[in-house]
Amino acid sequence: MTRLLQIFGFFSVLFRGATLSLQSLTIGGIAFLLVVVGRSSAESETLRSACLRWIRRAALALAVMQVVYVLANALILMQSTDMTFAQVSGATFAIAGVLASASALTIAALAGAPRSRGHAGMLLPAAVILVSSVMTSHSVARLEYRVPLTMFTALHQAATATWLGGLPYLLIGLRGSPDLEFARQLTARFSKLALCSVAVLATAGLTLSLAYVGSLNAIYGTSYGIMVATKVVLFGILLLLGALNFQIVHRSQGAAAIASLRRFGEAEIGIGITVILTAASLTSLPPAADLQQGRVSAAEIVARISPRLPRLASPSLRDLPEDIYANQQKSIDAGVLSTASFIPGQAGTRPNTPAEKSWSEYNHHWAGIIVLSIGFLALLAQAGHASWARNWPLIFLALSVFLIIRSDPETWPLGPNGFWVTFTDPEVLVHRIFALLVVALAIFEWRVQTGRVASGGARLVFPLLVAAASALLLTHSHSLGNIKEEVLAELSHAPLATLGVIAGWSRWLELRLPSKNRTRHVMARLWPVCFVLIGLLLLNYREM
Amino acid sequence: MRPGHRALYVGSFVAGLALFLLAHSAVAHAILLESSPSLNGTVGGPDVSIKLRFNVRIDTSRSRLTLVAPDASSRPLEISLDTSPDVLTSRASGLKAGGYRLRWQVLASDGHITRGEIPFQVTGP
Repeated sequence: MTRLLQIFGFFSVLFRGATLSLQSLTIGGIAFLLVVVGRSSAESETLRSACLRWIRRAALALAVMQVVYVLANALILMQSTDMTFAQVSGATFAIAGVLASASALTIAALAGAPRSRGHAGMLLPAAVILVSSVMTSHSVARLEYRVPLTMFTALHQAATATWLGGLPYLLIGLRGSPDLEFARQLTARFSKLALCSVAVLATAGLTLSLAYVGSLNAIYGTSYGIMVATKVVLFGILLLLGALNFQIVHRSQGAAAIASLRRFGEAEIGIGITVILTAASLTSLPPAADLQQGRVSAAEIVARISPRLPRLASPSLRDLPEDIYANQQKSIDAGVLSTASFIPGQAGTRPNTPAEKSWSEYNHHWAGIIVLSIGFLALLAQAGHASWARNWPLIFLALSVFLIIRSDPETWPLGPNGFWVTFTDPEVLVHRIFALLVVALAIFEWRVQTGRVASGGARLVFPLLVAAASALLLTHSHSLGNIKEEVLAELSHAPLATLGVIAGWSRWLELRLPSKNRTRHVMARLWPVCFVLIGLLLLNYREM
Repeated sequence: MRPGHRALYVGSFVAGLALFLLAHSAVAHAILLESSPSLNGTVGGPDVSIKLRFNVRIDTSRSRLTLVAPDASSRPLEISLDTSPDVLTSRASGLKAGGYRLRWQVLASDGHITRGEIPFQVTGP
């Protein structure tokens, strides 16, 4: 039973992330259709058809995802209590899910209707989707200022959808654009919509932050505050890309300008998804304002990040608490609960032993050496004086083997838990999948760097995986009880992840921007520098 | 792009995207702010009043309290419905001296499920 809850608990999060992304895509598409797409020309008609097609797909996927999410959450509730499906179906999340699903199906039907003249009819179901999403946000569960917080949450989500959710439709429009003028008009209209959205997004976000974070100390002293700060940084990067697009629209000419707009748009979508997932992650954390005790102080942070020599000698495997691992496994199997708050299927938390902390620091420091080497060799290869340095991606293979052996010492190949436990413990499974992705990353990028692949999608695997793995860090290891150690760990993970996002998308832009665009050369230098910085941060990673 | 490679690229992308989402740590946000009995506290028996206060509104009718006795037997406790939206109250009667555990599971108004356990001692009357 506990395993079942664990698996469903895990998947419900997957469904939640997908739901938020699809919601933005659906609402963003409708806003794009109504505000950006013109009515007069044949080109507009083609774009309108393409937009309707994608709105329909997004809405159908949203409807399915909502049903799956409600069923998974209902199952967790039924399995962990004595409730029947009828009793669970009256819960807010179930009502919200059904409303959203029905509205999404309505939108899909309207978008697929033949000879549909007006599309304003989709606004009502879109609004219902937004309301249903707000019904499962922090705001409705608050004890104070419930109404204004609910309104600002709705505005925040609507603005996110019209801006980030509208971007893919802009790319569709630019790709099918018959001439530069059409592309310029399209981008100019979307820019106005995006600017309004950004203004609403920033205002609502600031207001919500004041309510949920509340103080400067909470920004760096709690997991919630750190995630909000990271989200603000990513938002700043998106604004920077938006400004570059704005410059292109108003100053550049020719086909290269359209190509540049499309490439920046791709990066904006990728970073936008990261922001949405960070937001999804925020909705499952307790607001910083609720955690008045146990915050990390500035002095504790300074003490933790003060430079020290890296730990290059590992503690012995015998020093690790195998008896604790065994007891923990028994507790999970027996369904024994933790005194801390946690969700069904989790075993709660316990403080790491000094040996475990040393083990983790050793892992991070060697990973730092590997990543630092990668960054320097990539810079060396770019300088063109050492052709052998182009083989730097192969160093990732060493990182993969290192991760498989050492990331989970309680599990195969080092620990008492067998190989198959890998597939039943979500955390171990994520580590193993991550290690395999590092192998993929090494092979693909090595082929690119050594000229074995000169064009095509293979070149994009490396930036995509780097960006995805960085998002993994942003949504990893959240502590419900705000244990200080976990907040401190998150404080080091957030800049690592942000640098990783920048590295991934700058490499993407280096590969995708037209050769005439001078920003391409800046991007080419940016990502290896990010790797160097990531390596340095890892080398100074501390758990005690 | 060669057709044989296309599946690999798409597979890598989907795997990366799945990681993106899977990695999101599955924690909910209702946290227990205070409780009576307190964590590892001692209360006088045989009748014990129970009060749990959370940081958010709770769906009381879909939340559960279970008392685990020293002999590991458990029984559900009836939750009072007429309380503040962030509070769960109940009453356990006829408790003998010994170590008990109060298991709680709440559904927050925003749909998040959270649970936990409060060990406490009951002394004789």
